[in-house]
Amino acid sequence: SRTVVVYQLRRQRARASHSEDPPAMASHDDDQDLVVYGTPIEREEDISARKRRAVADAGQLRALPAWKQEVRDEEGRRRFHGAFTGGFSAGFYNTAGSKEGWTPQTFTSSRKSRAEHKKQSIYNFLDEEDIKDMGGNALETSQQYDTFGFTAAEHARKQASKEQNERPSAIPGPVPDELVVPATTSIGVKLLMKMGWHQGRTIKDAHADSLYESRREARKAFLALSGVSNDEDQDQIASQKSRVDENVAESFNKISASGNTPVYVLHPKEDLHGLGFDPFKHAPEFKDRKRSHKSVNRDRNRSDVSVRGSLLISNSGQYAPGFGIGALEELGVEDEDIYASGFNYEQTEVDIEPSKTSGDSKFKLEDKKRGFFLSFKIASNSEYKLERFHPPEIPADFDGRHKFSSPIQTADKFSDLAPPEVPPPEDTTLRLLIEGCAAMVARCGKHIEDFYKEKSKASPQFLFLDGGDGCSYYTRKLWEHQQKFIDRQRPGAVKSKPSSDKLTAENRGTILGEKPLDRSSKSSSSFVSAKEAVQLQSNLGDTFVKPISLDGVPESKKPFRNEPAKQARFEQFLKEKYQGGLRIASLAPTITMSDADRARERLDFEAAADAIEKGKEYKAIDPLSILGLPGLNEQRFVSSTQLESSAVLQDERPMYPQREEFEWRPSPILCKRFDIVDPFMGKPMPLRRPISKMDTLMFMTESTKKINEDVRGSSTIPQNAAVSGTEETEAQETANNPDIVASRMQRPVDLYKGNLF
Amino acid sequence: SLSLSPKKKGGSPTPEPSARGRTKEMSSAAQQLPRTESRTLSGHEGAVLAVRFNHDGKYCLSCGKDRTVRLWNPHTGAHVKTYKSHGREVRDVNASSDNAKLVSCGGDKQIFYWDVASGKVIRKFRGHNSEVNSVKFNEHNTVVLSAGYDRSVRAFDCRSQSSDPIQTIDTFQDSVMSVNVTNTEIIAGSVDGTVRTFDIRMGRETVDNLGHPVNCISLSNDRNCLLANCLDSTVRLLDKNSGEMLQEYKGHICKSFKMDCCLTNDDAFVIGGSEDGFVFFWELVDAPIVATFRAHSSVVLFPCHQRHLSPNKDLHVDVICRWDHSCLDLKIEIADVCYPY
Repeated sequence: SRTVVVYQLRRQRARASHSEDPPAMASHDDDQDLVVYGTPIEREEDISARKRRAVADAGQLRALPAWKQEVRDEEGRRRFHGAFTGGFSAGFYNTAGSKEGWTPQTFTSSRKSRAEHKKQSIYNFLDEEDIKDMGGNALETSQQYDTFGFTAAEHARKQASKEQNERPSAIPGPVPDELVVPATTSIGVKLLMKMGWHQGRTIKDAHADSLYESRREARKAFLALSGVSNDEDQDQIASQKSRVDENVAESFNKISASGNTPVYVLHPKEDLHGLGFDPFKHAPEFKDRKRSHKSVNRDRNRSDVSVRGSLLISNSGQYAPGFGIGALEELGVEDEDIYASGFNYEQTEVDIEPSKTSGDSKFKLEDKKRGFFLSFKIASNSEYKLERFHPPEIPADFDGRHKFSSPIQTADKFSDLAPPEVPPPEDTTLRLLIEGCAAMVARCGKHIEDFYKEKSKASPQFLFLDGGDGCSYYTRKLWEHQQKFIDRQRPGAVKSKPSSDKLTAENRGTILGEKPLDRSSKSSSSFVSAKEAVQLQSNLGDTFVKPISLDGVPESKKPFRNEPAKQARFEQFLKEKYQGGLRIASLAPTITMSDADRARERLDFEAAADAIEKGKEYKAIDPLSILGLPGLNEQRFVSSTQLESSAVLQDERPMYPQREEFEWRPSPILCKRFDIVDPFMGKPMPLRRPISKMDTLMFMTESTKKINEDVRGSSTIPQNAAVSGTEETEAQETANNPDIVASRMQRPVDLYKGNLF
Repeated sequence: SLSLSPKKKGGSPTPEPSARGRTKEMSSAAQQLPRTESRTLSGHEGAVLAVRFNHDGKYCLSCGKDRTVRLWNPHTGAHVKTYKSHGREVRDVNASSDNAKLVSCGGDKQIFYWDVASGKVIRKFRGHNSEVNSVKFNEHNTVVLSAGYDRSVRAFDCRSQSSDPIQTIDTFQDSVMSVNVTNTEIIAGSVDGTVRTFDIRMGRETVDNLGHPVNCISLSNDRNCLLANCLDSTVRLLDKNSGEMLQEYKGHICKSFKMDCCLTNDDAFVIGGSEDGFVFFWELVDAPIVATFRAHSSVVLFPCHQRHLSPNKDLHVDVICRWDHSCLDLKIEIADVCYPY
C-alpha cells in the first residue's frame, strides 16, 4: 500500500492527443492517463525485511563461488553491476546526479536574505558513509599551535559568552574582556617558561649591565673615600665602607628585582561600597589626611592598636562641616559629623592594609644586621693579585747612544785644524792612490794608515804617508774625507759647517755616484735646449727616485698576502720606491728565482704599487681598483702549477711528456657494458676534480694563440699552388678574411676547419 | 658513379739512403712496404675525411664532406653501399666487430648508429654540443665512444633505447680529436696537448701532457705503446704504462690538419701522412725514414692510414685516403701489398 498521488491529466491534453477520438474512448483513457508522481515512501517493515534478507543472503553468498557472489550495501541493494548491466553504479544509473537531474541540492537566492546565505562545509560533499569513515572526527582548526594566544583568548571569550547565555546572570550584556582570562598561554610564553623564564621577569639579560653599574658605583665611592681618607677618622671610613657595601648589596638586590615587568594583579574588592564610588569625592582634605596617615604609619611602624588609638584621638578633632562652634563652646557629641564616612573608611583601609614595603625593608635591614645577603657578596680580600715589577735601575751616567772610539775622535781632532788646500800632484796614478787611501783611512780609522805605512816600506808608492811626495795633498784629502764622515754622522751639523761649501756640485755628484751630466756648451743656464732638458730629466730619473710618502697605505692592502716572502719583497720594493734618493744598484737577489720570474715579479710589484697609489689618489672614486687587486693577484699566483706549466712551455721543452694521475669514476653502466667490475662499487660519489674556469680560459687562450699562428703559417701552403708560401700571400690572406682569424682566436681549434672550401 | 682504376703493382722499391746499413731482413721488410697505388676508389663527391677498414680487413668504409658514408670492397674496388642521412660532413666512421652496425659522426653533433645491411639509421645519439671528431665501438660493440669539439668524450649505450650518454668525460681543456678503446681503457687525444687514458678497471685517469696538440692516437698491436700524432710535425711513441716518451718521428709536415698515424701489423714500422702528399714510413726503434712515397698528386692531401689484420694473417693493407683541395679529383687511392709473415 503506497501513498500515491494520482493526478488525472487534464482532458484537454488527452483530447489534444486524441482529438479525433470519440467520447466513447474516454473511460478507457481514464485508466491509462494515471500518472504516478512523487517518491514512494517505504514502510519500516519493508526495509527491515530487506535488511534481514540481505543479512541472510550474505551468509548464503559466502557459500557461493566467487563469481556468483554479489556485492550489496547494508540495505541489501546491489552495488556493483556487471559490465553489461552498467558496471559500478555511481550516482543515478551511472550518471552523475540524481533522478531529478543535476540540480543543486537547495538553491536559495541570496538576493533578499544575504545573512542567511549558507556556508559550504565539507559535510556538504560527504555522504553518510564518508562521515562514518571519519569515525566522528570532525575537521577543526587546532588550538595547539597558538603563537600569540589570541585564538585561545577568543575561544575562552566565546565559551564564557555561551555559558552566560545559558545561565543568564544578574548583569546583563556581554562579558567584559578583562574578566575573561585566556585558558592557555601562548606558545611563546610556554617556550620562555621552559627556558627558565617566569612571569614578571624581563627577557632582556639585564644582569650583567646592572652588575657592572653597581661595581662602577662602588669603585667611584671607594675613590672618593680614599681621596679624603687622610683627614678622616678610621671609624668614619669604616662606616663609609659599610655604606659602600650596602650600596653594592642594594644594587644586587635591585638586580634580582629590577627589570621585571609589573604583573597586573587584580585586587579583590573587599569593601562595601559600589564600583566606582569614591568616598573622598567631595572631601579632598580627607584624602590628604589619609595619605599623611599612611606615611606616618610607615615611619613609625606602629601596631594596629596604636593606629586605632591615634585614629580615635584624631576623631575627636573632626567636626561636622557647616556647623560653626563658638569660642566658648565645648565640643559635644552632637557636634560630631555623624554622616562623614571618610573616617570610617580610613580606619578600615588602615586596618586592612599591612604596610608591605615597610615589612620588606625591615627584613632587609635584619639581613644586613646579620651580615649576609641572599645574593653574592664581594670578597673582602681577593685571591687574585696583579704582580708588579719595578723598572730596572738605570745608572746615573747612562747615555742612550753608543760611542765609537777611534774615527770620530780622530775626525774631531783633525777637524780643528784645516790643512791648507794643496794642488794635486801631476801624476794621476799617484793622485788616485792618495785619494783612495785617504778615503779608506777616513772610513776605517787610523790602523789602516798604519797598515799602509807598513806596506809603504816595501813599495815606494806609499811614500806620501811618511812625508814623501804628495804628503800635504794626502793630509788635505784625509781631512776632507773625515769632514764628510762627520757630516754624514751628524746631519744636523752640515749647514753649520763652513767646510762643506768647499764641496762643489761635481764632487758631491761623484760622492753620490751620479752620472756626470753632459755639460752644455752654452754657459748660460737660461738657454737650455729642449733636448738637453729631456736628457737632464732622464739622467735625473736614472739616478734619483721620486720620494712618495708611504703613509696612508693601510695594512689591509697587501696584495701578496698569501706569500709572505713575496710580500716582504714587495714591501722592500715599496720602501725603495717611496724612500726617494739614490736608486739601490743591486737588489738582494733571490737565488731561487730565475731572471724571467724576477722580471715578472717586478712588473707585478709595479702594477700593485700603481694600483695602491691610484687608490690613494682616488680613494673616493674607485675603491674597487684596490679591492679587486688582491683577488686578481691571488688568482695569478695561487694557481702556480698553471703558471709553471706555461713557463715550462716557453722555456724548457724536454720536460714533456708529463704524467699526472687522477681518480676517475666510470659510470656503473659503462663498467657493465665493458664487462668490468665497477671499481667504485658501493662507494659514495666522490667530489669532482675542481677545474676552475680561469685555468681553462688561460690555457685556452694560450694554446689557441699558438696554434692559430701555426694554422695561419701553414695555411699559406694550401692557398698557393706552389709548395712554398710567400709572405705577401699570407698577409693578403689574413687581410682578406680577418673575421675568420678573429673567430679562430676566440674558439678552440677545429682542425677540420683549418681549411675551408 | 663508381669508377675503378686498378693499377699494376709495379716498380722495384728502392730503399732510402737512411735505410742503408740496416740488417738484411729489416731492409727486406722495408722493401715489402707498400709504395704503389693498387686501386682508386672513386665515388665521393667531396673531400674524403676518413677511411676505415672493417674488423677483418675485407671491406673499408669512407666518409667525407659529401655527407655520405660509403662501403667499399677495396680488393675488388666495388662500391657496396652508400649511407646517406648525415646533414653535414662526416668526420669519422667505425664498424662493429660483427660487421652488423656502423657508427658515424660529424658536423651535425649527433652520432649515427647504422644497420649495415639495410642502410637505415637505428639510432641517433645526442649529447655533444658541437661537432664530433671521432667515434669508436668498444670490444663488445655495446658502447660507442665519441670525441667532440665540445671538449668532451662521451659514451653511449647501444643496448638501451636512450639516446643520452651514459658517461661524459669533460676533463679536457680543448677539442678532443681522437678516441681509442681497448677492453679496459678509453684513450683520447686532445688539442690541449694531452693524451688521457681512462682506466675503467682501476678508476684512474692518466694524463700525459705532450705539450703539443694531439691529432690522432693509435695503439700498438701489443697494446703497450701509444702513437700520438702531434701538430708540431712530430709523431711521438709513448710507453702506455710509464708515460715515457720512447721515440719521436719527424720529417713529415703536420701543422694544421688532422692526420692519422699507425703502426704496421708487426709493429715494426710507423706510418704517417704528410701535408705535402707524401706517406712516411719510419722504422720503429731508431726512427729513420725507411720509405716515403708520394701518394697523391694534388697539392693538399689528407692522408689517413689504416692497417688491419686479415683473418688469415697474410694480408696487409694500407689505405691512403686523400682530400683534394681542388675538388676536381676526389678519389681514394689504395696502396696495398701482400706479404707473408
